[in-house]
Amino acid sequence: MLKSGIAALALFMLSSNAMAETIELTVNGLVCAFCAQGIEKTLRKNPAVTDVVVSLEDKLVAIATKPGLDIPDQDLRKALTDSGYDVKTIARTQTTLGGIRARLKKPRS
Amino acid sequence: MKSVSQFGIVGALVLAIALVPCSSSAKPIGFAHGTTVMAEYGAGTMEELQVFYAPRFNYFIGGGHLALDSDVDARSRDITYVRRNYLVKRWNREGSQANVFVWGGFGSANVNTDAGSHFTWNAGIQLDYETRRLYGSLKSDLQKSSEFSHRIDTLQLGLAPYEHDYDTVATWFVVQGRRYTGEIFDGTEWILLLRLFKGGKWIEVGSTSDGRLRAMFMINF
Repeated sequence: MLKSGIAALALFMLSSNAMAETIELTVNGLVCAFCAQGIEKTLRKNPAVTDVVVSLEDKLVAIATKPGLDIPDQDLRKALTDSGYDVKTIARTQTTLGGIRARLKKPRS
Repeated sequence: MKSVSQFGIVGALVLAIALVPCSSSAKPIGFAHGTTVMAEYGAGTMEELQVFYAPRFNYFIGGGHLALDSDVDARSRDITYVRRNYLVKRWNREGSQANVFVWGGFGSANVNTDAGSHFTWNAGIQLDYETRRLYGSLKSDLQKSSEFSHRIDTLQLGLAPYEHDYDTVATWFVVQGRRYTGEIFDGTEWILLLRLFKGGKWIEVGSTSDGRLRAMFMINF
């Protein structure tokens, strides 16, 4: 019973990760919008990417991927490094880019 | 003043070639596989047009034309050049970025007091630091030929009234101090600039303390 529970949980986590359609990266050096255009242009060339959001305020780059597709961390790090920036963290979430845009527009305290 | 004939054409070539393989644009700001076009009108003393392509984010190659009109002796210099620029080092921090750029190249120069073209070479360095509210840069650009030798040193200090974001217009107030050597301009030229940019477009407009226009336009695509 315990084994089957653990297996189900592992399967859920794996499938959750595999189905993740939003990737959020926190990025160091993100201070100038003119300079950061390269990030968006580079990421949009990836066939798995459908949309990109960049926020200087949150030091955030969020990527929406096609359903069922993921981008390996090493490819994400390389894309950002090749654009001249350093990736601090990478997280996969179920939040849509619409949700992230709404979150970014909320007034900060 | 050391001319190319004193320095030696071979020496100049060796220096240019040594710098060329490792250079980015100190001034052009770009990204991998991007093209940058820049035009600057420098208060009647200098005008420059540059076009650069970046195979990598830290490496630009391109060319340009620089025209200088001396305020001292009425000589003018027209320099057409090819150049490579290299981002030597970048420090990315959570709320800031700092860079060291170098560049070098060579070209052909004409002066209004002499017929014919002259080989010219160029080398430069820029250090800069920025947050979303503060900006500072120091640039030195050297040009040498058998007919002239000059350096243009530029200091910029900027303050943003608000923190821009990726999808908003950035506004900066910048104080620029510039010194020219080589009998181009005596003293320090002080300019107050308004800098605006959004997306791939960048514009700066300002005035010297005696009311002369300084403007710069840059586009990335």
